[in-house]
Amino acid sequence: MSLEIESMVRYASPINPAVFPHLTLLLLGIGIFFTAWFFVYEVTSTKLSRDLFKELLLSLVAALFSGFGILFLLLWVGIYV
Amino acid sequence: MTVEVQTKAKLPQLSSDKQLTFIKLAVLSMAAILSFATRLFSVLRFESVIHEFDPYFNYRTTRYLTEEGFYNFHNWFDDRAWYPLGRIIGGTIYPGLMVTSATLYNIMQFLNITIDIRNVCVFLAPFFSSLTTIVTYLLTKELKDEGSGLVAAAMIAIVPGYISRSVAGSYDNEGIAIFCMLLTYYFWIKAVNTGTILWATMTALAYFYMVSSWGGYVFLINLIPLHVLALMALGRFSSRVYVAYSTLYCVGTILSMQISFVGFQPVQSSEHMLALGTFGLCQLYAFAQYLRAHLSPANFELLFKALCTTLLATLGTAAAVLTITGKISPWTGRFYSLLDPSYAKNHIPIIASVSEHQPTSWSSFYFDLQVLVFLFPAGLYFCFSKLTDANIFIILYGVLSIYFAGVMVRLMLVLAPVMCIVSGLAASSLLSLHVKDIEPKVEKHEKKKKHENNLVFRSEVGAVFVCVLGCLLISYVFHCTWVTSEAYSSPSIVLSARAHDGSRIIFDDFREAYTWLKMNTKEDAKVMSWWDYGYQITAMANRTVIVDNNTWNNTHISRVGQAMASTEEKAYEIMQELDVDYVLVIFGGLVGYSSDDINKFLWMVRIGGSTERGAHIKEADYYTGAGEFRVDSDGSSTLLNCLMYKMSYYKFGLVYTEGGRPPGFDRVRGAEIGNKDFNLDVLEEAYTTEHWLVRIYKVKPLPNRGV
Amino acid sequence: MACTSANVVKCHCQKKWSSVTMPAMAKIQFCFTFILFIAINCASVNVDNISSDVKFKNVDRTIDLSSQLVKISQKITLENSGKSPVKSFLVAVEASSKNNLAYIGAKDSSGKDLRVSETTVKGHDSAKFWRVDLKDALNAGSTVVVTSETVFTKALQPYPTAITQQEDQLVKYTGNLYVYSPYQVTSQKTNVVVVTKGIESFSKVKPFSQQDGAIQYGPYPNVAPFTEKELSVHYKNNSPFLTVTRIERLIEVSHWGNIAIEELIEVEHTGAKLKGPFSRYDYQQDLHSGPASVRSYKTLLPASASDVYYRDTNGNISTSNMKVKKDSVELDLRPRYPLFGGWKTHYTLGYNVPSYEYLYHSGNEYLLKMRVIDHIFDDMQVDELTTKIILPEGSVGIKLNVPYPVTRLADSLHYTYLDTKGRPVITFKKSNVVENHIQDFQLRYTFPRLLMFQEPLLVVGFLYALFLLVIIYVRLDFSIHKAEHQHKD
Repeated sequence: MSLEIESMVRYASPINPAVFPHLTLLLLGIGIFFTAWFFVYEVTSTKLSRDLFKELLLSLVAALFSGFGILFLLLWVGIYV
Repeated sequence: MTVEVQTKAKLPQLSSDKQLTFIKLAVLSMAAILSFATRLFSVLRFESVIHEFDPYFNYRTTRYLTEEGFYNFHNWFDDRAWYPLGRIIGGTIYPGLMVTSATLYNIMQFLNITIDIRNVCVFLAPFFSSLTTIVTYLLTKELKDEGSGLVAAAMIAIVPGYISRSVAGSYDNEGIAIFCMLLTYYFWIKAVNTGTILWATMTALAYFYMVSSWGGYVFLINLIPLHVLALMALGRFSSRVYVAYSTLYCVGTILSMQISFVGFQPVQSSEHMLALGTFGLCQLYAFAQYLRAHLSPANFELLFKALCTTLLATLGTAAAVLTITGKISPWTGRFYSLLDPSYAKNHIPIIASVSEHQPTSWSSFYFDLQVLVFLFPAGLYFCFSKLTDANIFIILYGVLSIYFAGVMVRLMLVLAPVMCIVSGLAASSLLSLHVKDIEPKVEKHEKKKKHENNLVFRSEVGAVFVCVLGCLLISYVFHCTWVTSEAYSSPSIVLSARAHDGSRIIFDDFREAYTWLKMNTKEDAKVMSWWDYGYQITAMANRTVIVDNNTWNNTHISRVGQAMASTEEKAYEIMQELDVDYVLVIFGGLVGYSSDDINKFLWMVRIGGSTERGAHIKEADYYTGAGEFRVDSDGSSTLLNCLMYKMSYYKFGLVYTEGGRPPGFDRVRGAEIGNKDFNLDVLEEAYTTEHWLVRIYKVKPLPNRGV
Repeated sequence: MACTSANVVKCHCQKKWSSVTMPAMAKIQFCFTFILFIAINCASVNVDNISSDVKFKNVDRTIDLSSQLVKISQKITLENSGKSPVKSFLVAVEASSKNNLAYIGAKDSSGKDLRVSETTVKGHDSAKFWRVDLKDALNAGSTVVVTSETVFTKALQPYPTAITQQEDQLVKYTGNLYVYSPYQVTSQKTNVVVVTKGIESFSKVKPFSQQDGAIQYGPYPNVAPFTEKELSVHYKNNSPFLTVTRIERLIEVSHWGNIAIEELIEVEHTGAKLKGPFSRYDYQQDLHSGPASVRSYKTLLPASASDVYYRDTNGNISTSNMKVKKDSVELDLRPRYPLFGGWKTHYTLGYNVPSYEYLYHSGNEYLLKMRVIDHIFDDMQVDELTTKIILPEGSVGIKLNVPYPVTRLADSLHYTYLDTKGRPVITFKKSNVVENHIQDFQLRYTFPRLLMFQEPLLVVGFLYALFLLVIIYVRLDFSIHKAEHQHKD
């Protein structure tokens, strides 16, 4: 049932650990940009000028980029999740 | 500042409103991040480690709290300290710090963030200084405007006076207490401005947090009543102040009495009497106003006089009786030293021996505050020029804390925030005043400008002024960073020095000795050392100590001082009496570490001689005929034969420390030791660290009878 | 040597000591400890008979006493004096030292490992027996050469038990002068290696000869089975007497390309205890002071090890050097203080290795092949080893193969960053471990690759929830003065 070791290949990370810092900076940078945009929008828009769709979209993009950015930040600093 | 932003060329897609919000958010979050980051020097240079002495106790108690839970912590009787007396930890500490970090730790554990409790403790102070930055912004915003708030926030983020007690690893009460204090002030200003019970209750809650975390809350509970009194004196007393203060006092006092270390002090001790008195006065004042509204002036006058006389008489007798019967505690020594800086030095050696209780020198004001020292008076001027209830508060706070900081170095910490706030006000007001002068040239019409321009070179003067202030602020940033990195970021548990070739040498002797004690002595061994090292020994070596940094029992410390200052035979009696197994001394003579036990020795003599049993120990015996303290052959023979001397210099007389010097040359005192060739009779060397910084001796058991 | 033997032993061990597979949940539920060895091997307890056909024609025995371990290797010339072919023979360890035995192995003349399994013999309950299976059956009348190797821990007693700082450490070895064997031994020689000239005393049974650093006994002709006669050597031995009293080895596998290893180690100097004071002055005078103490020792890590840390509960231990060599990383570890007899220390050593060195996969099937224990110092002896393997969250179908019998403890769950239902932890224990036990285990498990996205999506979800809260918060309006508010808008 179990495979022999000869038929298996060595397992390496799907993403080269050398690019973790770059990915972190890029993704977190974009994430923070959208987060800032979102918060500025939330604070400055009034009840009438607020657009729910835009808010949801902005926050989703911000969350996506920040989330992956944080993951790579963790990997970069040595917390291998 | 705000003006500058508003009138700048507009980006097409963002309105000025949005720009403003964005800049506010950016400045504030950057200040908060900066205040965290600038405190990490020691972590980057050394490691994530707890600093100094007191933090080790806090760290140990926090660990206990996380492991055993709150109730065990509350009922904790610590038998590792003050042997054989022990210490009731739950009743003798301000638990706010430990509870805060234990709560944070538990929350993170719940979220599966498996961070070590040590790291929580190390980074707690920087984290709270980030929060302080935000609170400072809010408080200053209440006082004046958002611009000043941002400047004040940026200033407090890096002010050395505050950093000195809140670098990463400096896990002490002050780290969170400053945040609590400013939070209380913020809520208080809010409460005074709005007069709502909500804000007053928030003030009381913040005050409760402050009481639970630092003994310095006494400053706060005297400052707020003073503010109320000042408002009364200035005729600004209103129902808003009445609501705010009455709520704060009632709720706050009851809450503060829940801390077992505080207990009934808020209604008994003299330090709290001002608050109580002001509370009473508030009621009377309000009652009087009520009566005045309902009575004719003549009747009111009569009633007022009669009431006043009786009241004063009763209060006076009551106070006298209570003081005599001891219900109102007498003024404690630490408080006297606030009012009279020389009090402690003359009366209580144990208080005077602590370096942080010394009066502040002028240079340290500049060192800790730099440009704020000059901006502060300007800020006070701006406060006076537009007097409000809130401004009166900040003026009072500033003036009082300047006085207290002058009395005690430690209270520089209380002064630093108000310096930042007032200087923030000043910088912001000055800048917006002069930036306005530069701007019109660009924007406004020629005609209008001619009318306005009644002063020659108005804009040039403005530009020069802005430049000068900018330079000052930039120099402030450089100064703060330099001070933080050079003066306040050494963990003191690990020492480092530069070798001749420029490489770094690390002296890790303290941890070496403590680990040795922990691993290689009996679990219940008692270690005698000077009280400075008590907390570190219990925390790192997990051994019982005779005295520690909680210097509550003068006679016990004095007993240890007597042992250190006596000859071997006399010391042996004391050590037998105290059941000592090991004696630990710090000795810097080999590497030149100047804060070692020989340099502290005179305090041991003074404290040892300050009690009845140590009356035979006289300071004068330890000086030479010329009144000098010397360890070389000219030194007094009492000194050269006392236990401390022998333990420090045992076998040191054989060591060559510096080229071209005789053996036994002490590099701290710069002298060849006087008594080189001696043996220890009642002690044996148990361990000495690599650089001789810590020497541990084992007390030999009593010799068998007849041998 | 250790490496090659590990491979061979493992191959047949896989069949014999194969593991028991259970659903992960069931393992957690049943908090019982079961012993693999007993479960598989002792369930059908091996009973062997001593064959009268087998004879030891000649035995060359070397007793190596130069370190803290006692390593005995015997070159046995086996003779089949019977009629039928012999497939296996027995080796025995006397009752007095069987509890000190840490490792036993056998090789044939070409250096190939032979299978060794524990067994019992009726009527000889006190001694311990191992059956060595020969590669090819030994025909009647022919001979074969087999080398057996045994390692004993704590067989050297410091004598005197306490010494002062400047004294040399003297130890006493007590063993058997003759080869303890269930068979008749026609001729035997023993060579005791001590490497030192400082021999205080030794048993003098003729014929013997003493050269520097070694004592030769024999040849002794025709010794009957199970003959015991005391051999004692009292000599100077200043080699480090360090015992690892406890080690917990933590292996954390991450599919983001990293395996983190952390070892919590407690060390004690188990030689002669230090008597009287410790004088730093004397200790610093010359390097030969405190001859029995241990200032530092070398730990070898895998060549790919990075981010090495060395600390204890009080923080980093700043005294250590790291040298990167071709096939390993050499750490020169200096404990905070020199270790004298009876002194203890503890520390944590951790490092990262890339996953491609030890982790293999084929689709969703993964195989982790790592050492049960790694090198701590030369001639190490470990009292108690606990190895824990933490697999990524969501791993199922875990199967463990070990190269030698271990005690497997109940599986548990480990919660750390970004975990929801916990990472499976496989734990096993072994006591009395020496260098010969540095061998690979194999751990198979199944991990759906898509689960790797669980962690980032968790963060994304959390952040999005926060943003949603903000969106809802700005829409809340608790104001009582509704009219005024609307007017403002």
